[in-house]
Amino acid sequence: MRVSKTNYKIANAHLTSRLKQTLVAILSVTFGISMYIFMNSFMTGVNDTQTGLAFSTLAHIRIYNDIPKDNTDLFAGHVDENTLVNVRNPKVIQYTDGIKNSAKILNMLDTIPEINGITPQLNINVFFRNGATKVNGMLSGIDVVNEDKLFGTSQYVIEGDWMELNRRSDGILLGSGLAKKLSLNLNDNVVVLTEEGITKNYKVIGIVETTLASVDNTKAYIRIGFARQLISKNMGYVTDIQINLDDYSHTQELSKTLGKMTKYKVEPWQEANGQLEAANKLRNIIAIAVSLTILIVAGFGIYNIMNMTVNEKIREIAILKAMGFDGKDIIQIFLTQSVIIGILGGIVGIVLGYLVSLLVNHIPFKIASLETLPITYRTSDYIMAFFFGLITTFIAGYLPSKKASQVDPVEIIRG
Amino acid sequence: MEDLSLSVKNLNKYFYEPQTFHVLKDISFDIKKGEFLALTGKSGSGKSTLLYILSTMDTAYDGSLTINGEVLTGKPQNELAAFRNEHIGFVFQFHYLLPEFSALDNVMLPALKLEKRPVEEIKEKALENLKLLGIEDQALKSASKLSGGQQQRVAIARALINEPAIIMGDEPTGNLDSKNTRIVFDIFRELAAERGQTIIAVTHDDDFADNCDRTLELMDGKLIFQ
Repeated sequence: MRVSKTNYKIANAHLTSRLKQTLVAILSVTFGISMYIFMNSFMTGVNDTQTGLAFSTLAHIRIYNDIPKDNTDLFAGHVDENTLVNVRNPKVIQYTDGIKNSAKILNMLDTIPEINGITPQLNINVFFRNGATKVNGMLSGIDVVNEDKLFGTSQYVIEGDWMELNRRSDGILLGSGLAKKLSLNLNDNVVVLTEEGITKNYKVIGIVETTLASVDNTKAYIRIGFARQLISKNMGYVTDIQINLDDYSHTQELSKTLGKMTKYKVEPWQEANGQLEAANKLRNIIAIAVSLTILIVAGFGIYNIMNMTVNEKIREIAILKAMGFDGKDIIQIFLTQSVIIGILGGIVGIVLGYLVSLLVNHIPFKIASLETLPITYRTSDYIMAFFFGLITTFIAGYLPSKKASQVDPVEIIRG
Repeated sequence: MEDLSLSVKNLNKYFYEPQTFHVLKDISFDIKKGEFLALTGKSGSGKSTLLYILSTMDTAYDGSLTINGEVLTGKPQNELAAFRNEHIGFVFQFHYLLPEFSALDNVMLPALKLEKRPVEEIKEKALENLKLLGIEDQALKSASKLSGGQQQRVAIARALINEPAIIMGDEPTGNLDSKNTRIVFDIFRELAAERGQTIIAVTHDDDFADNCDRTLELMDGKLIFQ
């Protein structure tokens, strides 16, 4: 809709003649839009932190050899229903565990462009012993460089050095809780006892603290090659292959394709950690609900002010109509005002929203791995805020404009 | 027929609120081009109602209205608005200027809406009109700062800007002292005589009415003197 210059001029005169009201209207839009931006930036910040924290131990996709499927009904599908079969106390007598020839899978994964990082792991349940203290835990044989690339584990090393793993064959990194339980410090010795009864002595070359208690209290890291030696497995043996993608939200599709390419279980993070995704989605819903409510309230503010303007200017509307301005012109005049309010409020709101986000981002919040309250700055939030703000002001302005356009000039002029 | 400016046939008008009331009863008349016509009658006789029907703003009536040979009865509101803009100039009892605008801007407004001439030309013409009415020195003052007489003259200048075929006034001098009334009357007289513009004015002022070319008097919704 092209706004004629004359209508624009009248709209502008209305706006500038009631500067105070105009400012209040602009402020209400500003407030709505800045809160929209802040709420969404904050929620995204929280989500990103939460996800980041979760992905410090969880890969986007995990490939592993699942234990054999339910074998309680061995003859299902093999005999017809008229045949009676009686098997008592069936047992699985042999299955392969772990992934024997990991090189084949790793090579295949290397060819997929969406994949950003791959690391093989050899996870073994062991006992850690220091003197009489014996603690059950998980010994993780890892590829030092790739493990760090996927999970950034080296940044959680609070004592010692992650890369030391590559230099010492008897080096082990312990979770901080595990070290405490075993009363171990840096450079102390620890004994690892496997299920098969093999014991080996390791030297503590680092302490890891991820702030996730389940990890810190049970996990220890050694180099994958030495883990293979410990349980007498060949070169290609791994229990898990962990994969990170460029975008963690696109795991579902890729998991399906990978599932078809290998006989092993391919598990996206959503399957392993459903509550994380649920929490993210719930937080997004809250953010959208709250920010839209604020925008709607701002819309009511504009509606109110525009309604007042129309009532105040009702004689002028009548006179404009008498002079030959038609309903469309009147709608243009008043809609232009609310759109100008929307645009000005939107621009100021974007700036204010950014400043509020910046401010909140500097509020100290020293819990878990956080230093300050988290904020994620996304251009899309700003664009959406502006867009929603414009729609709100447009609707809030349209209703009073419509009313103004239906004013009967005769009724007003005759009094 | 060609020199007819306005023609009304069998006009009937009812008010339905608070109860049905027959305001205008079977009114028919013609007005020639360049005629200066007064519409008189006691209050409540329906003269203003008639004027607003003639002005095309009130469309709830029976009968037919023709201006400049164009039948306006039954046309949609937007077309009527465009017609008013180009062919009818309006002067009200209370001046009704846009208070945010200067006198000059107020005068220019109908022509800016019409968009048939460039802005510069409209401005020139508006100043000319203000000069004609003797208030060119007030051109740039805000409309709300002018005196009643000045405002009324600005309103007349505004009514003239598109050189309308008909100028209608609802008690155009009702709010003015005798000196200003005289001035306004003379301007109307001159417009009718020299430019051939038709003037229709509702008035209470007998003096004003007596000096017009013709007087239509209404009583209880009927035309009694023509």
